[in-house]
Amino acid sequence: MIRAELLKLTTVTGTWVAVGIGAAGLLLTQLLAVTFIPALASGDVRGVPAQSELGAVDPGSLEFQAAALNPLGSVLGSTGSIGVATIVVMVLGLLVATTDYRFGGLVTTALAQPRRLRILGGKITATAIAAAALAVVFVVICLATLLITAAALPSIEFVVPVAQVLGIAARSVAVIVLLALLGLAIGVLVRSQLAGVLVVIALLVLEPIVQSIAQLVTGTVPVWAQLLPLSLGQAAIADSANSVFPAIIALPALAAIVIGVTTASGAVLRRRDL
Amino acid sequence: MTTNPVPAIAVHHLRKTYGTRAAVEDVSFTVRPGTVVGLLGPNGAGKTTTMRLLLGLASPDSGRALVTGQQYAALGSPARTVGAALDAAGLHPGRTARQHLRIAAAMAGIPEGRVSVVLDETGLATAADRRIGGYSLGMRQRVALAAALLGDPRVLVLDEPANGLDPAGMRWLRNRLRAFADAGGAVLLSSHVLAEVDHIADEAVVIAHGRVAAAGTLADLTAANGGDLEEFYLELTAESAEVR
Repeated sequence: MIRAELLKLTTVTGTWVAVGIGAAGLLLTQLLAVTFIPALASGDVRGVPAQSELGAVDPGSLEFQAAALNPLGSVLGSTGSIGVATIVVMVLGLLVATTDYRFGGLVTTALAQPRRLRILGGKITATAIAAAALAVVFVVICLATLLITAAALPSIEFVVPVAQVLGIAARSVAVIVLLALLGLAIGVLVRSQLAGVLVVIALLVLEPIVQSIAQLVTGTVPVWAQLLPLSLGQAAIADSANSVFPAIIALPALAAIVIGVTTASGAVLRRRDL
Repeated sequence: MTTNPVPAIAVHHLRKTYGTRAAVEDVSFTVRPGTVVGLLGPNGAGKTTTMRLLLGLASPDSGRALVTGQQYAALGSPARTVGAALDAAGLHPGRTARQHLRIAAAMAGIPEGRVSVVLDETGLATAADRRIGGYSLGMRQRVALAAALLGDPRVLVLDEPANGLDPAGMRWLRNRLRAFADAGGAVLLSSHVLAEVDHIADEAVVIAHGRVAAAGTLADLTAANGGDLEEFYLELTAESAEVR
């Protein structure tokens, strides 16, 4: 089943388009974040005065470089580069589920494997493998962008210790796999590809809005608002002392959300007529 | 193959409702090895629902549907026992026929070598690496049939297999199913093309309003109509002409 699911995923154009958009989008945003934004902040862009509202952006600092290694994050702490990479990761999982539904392929799958939970198991494993491979590509793009920038600009030195690089990479892979599995579970629940994409985008857009509203009302971002999937993913990758949740809490919490939604999708898949 | 006392397909008092409407009500019939049984009925009569219940794609409210004495979900390797083609569904237009069959083989644990065999058998070898989106309906039917034959099964369940087939394709289907049954296989096929059923099937089950209206050998069923299946069918289903 796993090989069949991987074959399904790699024989549709949508997968490669999503991966291509994700990789190109991430490369572009990382290049901007690592080279252009610091230049803009310091007034190094000809004809543009220093942008003080960007704050102190030091691409040679450990904090900046560690943040730049996060494929789902942004060195500026905004959601600027979350969009492309995170959407692609969740859409990848979504495609594993909804491509089958869209063209009736789930009937073929169920004829070959009538036990529905085994179908879901195959999809989960295939999604995890594909997402891990995509995560490695994303991590390499982030690392390569930073290393090439450091090599090209004499003023910048790569200062992130190897152990920290490996930690960020490992946690990034784990978070990307979990978010892809969340996309898969959403896909199994909603079945429709279009509806699934809309749900994913809505989740991505709504989470920061919910946090902003909560912050406006309470004066701070409440703990519950930081227990939402994207925030947990960011906290898990960053593993920052400034974060409410260190990685050791954020990662299991995100996994718990994914397990909960996946369990619901399994229950629905099991009893639903095809 | 030797004669097997266990029916290849046995449907017992099957019932399935959607909301308040009974799609299938108390449907019972059997398909013996070595026979081709046509499942006939007007649109919405319950033919496809019956097949889906048989194949475990939907759960009956009551009754049982067995393949070689077991529920479909309990079959150890379903694709090696039952080959099913449901209205050319499950074909992604962006994949080639070869890719579709490789995926189907991988899902069922069937050696990939069978893909070339069934492509040759269904006359798709030269078109196998073209995208299915560019196929005619008849070619899609052939892909669905190729997938059904992948596991070299003993039972075939085919929903409207003649849809879109050209005369040569019809003849190929007729000969293939006849040879399959003569070798001891069992075929359950639904069709609106009564002439084809007349040519291919040994027996027929006519469903109307979700219930079995008649069942038996074609000779017995049509005896009162001078052997005219169409006349028999139209008389039997006259009240069901309206789509449900």
